[in-house]
Amino acid sequence: MKDFNTLKFLDKFKYVFQKLGINYEIMRKILQIKLIMDGRRAPTIINNSNKKEKDDDNKFMKSLWMYSIFGIFLAILVVPKKSIMMQMSIFFGILMFMLITTLISDFSSVLLDVRDKNIMLTKPVDSKTINAAKVIHVFIYMFYITIAMTGIALLVSLRHGVKFFIVLVLEIILIDIFMIVLTSLIYLLILKFFDGEKLKDIINYVQIILIMVMTIGYQFIGRLFEFVNINVVFTPKWWQYLIIPVWFAAPLEMILNNNYNIYIIILSTLGIVVPIASLLFYIKLSPVFERNLQKLNNNTVSINKNKAPLGERLCNVVCWNREERIFFKFAYKIIRNEREFKLKVYPSLGLAIVFPFIFMFGTISEANSFNQWLNYMVSTKYYLNIYWAAFIIPTLIMMMKYSGRYKAAWIYKVMPIKEVAPIFKGTIKAFFIKLIAPLYIIESIIFIFIFGIKIFPHLLIVFLNILLFTVLCFKIFDKSLPFSKSFQVTQTADGIISIFLMLLLAALAGIHYFSTIINFNVYVYMFIMLIIVLVFWRKSFNISWEKLK
Amino acid sequence: MEKTNDPIITMRDLKMNFGDKEVLRGINLDVYKGQIIGYIGPNGAGKSTTVKIMLGLIEGYTGQIEIFGQSINNGDIEYKRRIGYVPETAEIYDSLTAKEYLTFIGELYGLDNEHVDNKAMNLMKIFGLEGAYNSRISSYSKGMKQKVLIISSLIHNPDILFWDEPLSGLDANSVMIVKEILAQLAAEGKTIFYSSHIMDVVEKISSRIVLLNGGQIVADGSFEELKHESREGSLEDIFNQLTGFNKHKELAEEFVSIVREGASI
Repeated sequence: MKDFNTLKFLDKFKYVFQKLGINYEIMRKILQIKLIMDGRRAPTIINNSNKKEKDDDNKFMKSLWMYSIFGIFLAILVVPKKSIMMQMSIFFGILMFMLITTLISDFSSVLLDVRDKNIMLTKPVDSKTINAAKVIHVFIYMFYITIAMTGIALLVSLRHGVKFFIVLVLEIILIDIFMIVLTSLIYLLILKFFDGEKLKDIINYVQIILIMVMTIGYQFIGRLFEFVNINVVFTPKWWQYLIIPVWFAAPLEMILNNNYNIYIIILSTLGIVVPIASLLFYIKLSPVFERNLQKLNNNTVSINKNKAPLGERLCNVVCWNREERIFFKFAYKIIRNEREFKLKVYPSLGLAIVFPFIFMFGTISEANSFNQWLNYMVSTKYYLNIYWAAFIIPTLIMMMKYSGRYKAAWIYKVMPIKEVAPIFKGTIKAFFIKLIAPLYIIESIIFIFIFGIKIFPHLLIVFLNILLFTVLCFKIFDKSLPFSKSFQVTQTADGIISIFLMLLLAALAGIHYFSTIINFNVYVYMFIMLIIVLVFWRKSFNISWEKLK
Repeated sequence: MEKTNDPIITMRDLKMNFGDKEVLRGINLDVYKGQIIGYIGPNGAGKSTTVKIMLGLIEGYTGQIEIFGQSINNGDIEYKRRIGYVPETAEIYDSLTAKEYLTFIGELYGLDNEHVDNKAMNLMKIFGLEGAYNSRISSYSKGMKQKVLIISSLIHNPDILFWDEPLSGLDANSVMIVKEILAQLAAEGKTIFYSSHIMDVVEKISSRIVLLNGGQIVADGSFEELKHESREGSLEDIFNQLTGFNKHKELAEEFVSIVREGASI
């Protein structure tokens, strides 16, 4: 069986563990098994791994470089000497956010594995050893992630002196402990009030947020340089005592600028006392934790039976025959309930909201004030940037065929369904109502705020173009029944088609842009678009069963 | 050490509450060497809870439990080395291969890696799974997983077996092998504590049947004895009688009548 360098390193501390009454050989065995299993699980940070799984190819280690890109971010924050309080508060803020979201999204399975108890506690292994293995397991990963994220920053910090470096190292260790304890306490709190299903939902949302922040975060790396150079004078305010990253910035301010203000001293004390207190608190509570953990398996299913959500009520408006409505509701509910599906799709929705703005950011730095910028924007055609929001449509349509429970697709075959069209129509409409329409409406409201109500007719044209684009995407991709394929078998050909589709979207946007240059009548344009859309929606779904893949 | 005639497991007034729900309401039981005990009862009767308490998975019970003549809550967990367990829900680290999983379990029992590896491979071979020995358990069918669990409960040659629904997912031929294994193990003096919902199997293989209902033992004896006492023909009938369930006909009729109504649109 595979041995790990980490474990060989751990062997050096064998004596310490034995002194603590832990069966080291057994603990090592458990850790070895756990590390093997982790290697076969993809971390959230590398979503959509579309390659075939290779054996024992540790995906965690591969994900570390993603963290080290964030490490560059953090290192930049350490460089200037302008406002250490400000810089380091942001530094610790980002670090804490990344650590806690990673812990919740990827290590919930470590902290909450209920199998452990049934498999190991029934063997002659004492719970002390099992718990020690659990703690070491989490710390091994925290060690790697922390090094990846703060390694460069630590090197950079040497320019502020060795003392600064040492304090920073100690603080990072303290933060690691604090975040692990905080995560456990969050679980404890959630499990106290809710059951396992709810917890899984919450973990799911944290995973989505993590991916979203990572992807959006990368877009801003360049901007950070400008930001760091802003000279901010840090004035003490009472509410700053409540902001945790500030506690950890304070000691660095103290040693670098010899600032022994009472305010700095209080903040520094908080930074040391609170993590340690929370650890003691947690050790005291951990039996409660173990007991609540059992709740993970009892799932008193109580889906609220209130009136159907708005989207579902729209079903009767957008679907005109019975079969279509059936599949609309089916797809709508799967999108809402399947966690794996949400994990793949929702982050890109978040990205789609932000994307149009990323391309308008260049214009902000040209303006002196926000109002001036608004005034300038109204006179431009930058509102066509809203087309960027549609770049996720190919992904969504492609995702339509995937599901974590794809094997359940046998239902299509055993049911007396004559035509395929209602299946696809219903599903695409559900996707549109549940995912695309809300996104576009939010985006439009923001755009109207920036560009004024006068762009409303143009937004309608964009909407029609998006409808057309959705159908075109559907037509061009290989067609498989909705939710009938495993996420693992993403075809590479789809990627090439996606690029082609992006060009198509660019063409649609180009035509729109051209029409504004030649001052083509918007309402005539709108009418033409409407006709085209109706024709395409009518024609595109007549597919035979044989053509499905 | 325990003598031959002393019980190998004793339970005295075992009680357990989950919140305000009484799951076990005073279980008294002596189990002797070489017995195959069919531990049966309706869902929620407390079968799995009893087994989990004996394995130290659930704490907070009252009453005494002695296994191999020693109380189980004296902090000494060595008794677990002589117990094999097949859990009711197939809990298993399924991202591991059978080889990795079984050697891991064997090592937790304190066996040597190479020794377990050989033994596991040979046992897998008998179940016709040697080809799957190096593939991940997640790719196994339900029956294959169950076989791995059965092997993992026997790999360390234990003296007591706790098997919770051990036959689920197994085909008829495998069931025959497992039944025969049980009989031979019992003949060698091993004690088997076995729970299942399939009454025909329990009826045939158990040397003693313990029926649990509502957290209490309502019947205890060999199948012949139970049959004699209750004057019913099969274990299924005895089960229904003792658990006070006699409405299956009415419920079935109601079910079918609902199926019949409004069949077409």
